[in-house]
Amino acid sequence: MKFAGAGREFARVNNVDSFWQDYQRRRWMRPNAHLYVRPDAALWQQPDRKLWQAPDLTERKYNPDQPRIPAGGPDGGQWTDGSSGLIHLAGDIPTGDSPEIPKEKPPTSQERTGLLKDVARRISEFGLTIEAFAKVNAWLRTRSAEIESYGDPPKSLEELQRDTSRSAPGYDIHHIVEQTQAEKDGFTRGVIDDPDNLVQIPRLKHQEINAWYQTKNPEFGSLSPREYLSGRSWEVRRAVGLDAMRIFGVLKP
Amino acid sequence: MKSIDLGKMTVLQLVERFTSLALGQSKAELYGETEKYNRLYDEIVAIKQELKSRAGDQRSALVPLFTHPNPQVRLMAAQWALAVAPVAARQALQDLSDRNIYPQAAYARQSLMALDRGDSKLI
Repeated sequence: MKFAGAGREFARVNNVDSFWQDYQRRRWMRPNAHLYVRPDAALWQQPDRKLWQAPDLTERKYNPDQPRIPAGGPDGGQWTDGSSGLIHLAGDIPTGDSPEIPKEKPPTSQERTGLLKDVARRISEFGLTIEAFAKVNAWLRTRSAEIESYGDPPKSLEELQRDTSRSAPGYDIHHIVEQTQAEKDGFTRGVIDDPDNLVQIPRLKHQEINAWYQTKNPEFGSLSPREYLSGRSWEVRRAVGLDAMRIFGVLKP
Repeated sequence: MKSIDLGKMTVLQLVERFTSLALGQSKAELYGETEKYNRLYDEIVAIKQELKSRAGDQRSALVPLFTHPNPQVRLMAAQWALAVAPVAARQALQDLSDRNIYPQAAYARQSLMALDRGDSKLI
């Protein structure tokens, strides 16, 4: 499978995501690609199919007569749509079907966390249970508390602050005002660790919120929230901290 | 990384590049690669600026991405084309929020809250 035009040049020059994108393209060219299409995929189809052109994947079946790219080139033998020789595929469509989960425990912490987040999000979005995934990878069952807590509904601040003396399985103690940055800016540990600044929230949500604090954000003038809050008052930090919990579905609006 | 002269790219090429960068962000987010996410963010902003500078403000070329299958692509397109297609962009942000597609739902909600307060940086 090839990138088209600037996309191909981009992949060649940057090599940023070519592996992942190639993987996605291979996945969507499988004879059983229809298994990966979410039931409401038609909602995401562009009427004019200008920028990405997805074949009718819901009807995709193996067809030995489907044209392939001629042998001799780097993509020789791969499926094509028979027109331009290039197909723009849909990319990563979340699906309610069983995802591709490695049978073995991922070797790195980074991969394990990514897999956990992916599974937890799919379960939450599509109303699945962990059993569907744990059949494939028993390791996931050992992390079921983290996955299940991710689906918690939003709670009141009082509920989140009810028991912060120790974290329950699948949960973390979270500082509403970020502790490391607050300490750097001169706030005392007494203020930072005051029960009023502590909540117990799902671990994977905790990680998402921590990542949000570090990523550039157009609503903060392309600063990260952490950069934006540097040097600001406790009240501003707390307001942002509470908003973060609201937008991530941890705290009731 | 070799620098790319955005000024020599067509609008369609810019949109393709925008899409690829947002897909890269999607993966970077999943694997906790914050520095990479932020680097890609800067590149996306550069493309947005290039589109804005073109005759007629070509940020409208991002509108078709509001229905892209990847939620990060939809989020980036909706945020950066909000100034030229406010109704459709808001609808795309609302959809991300309503479907609880994280983490994009959170970023979308933040933008929606800012729009409601009248202090969005995206307009």
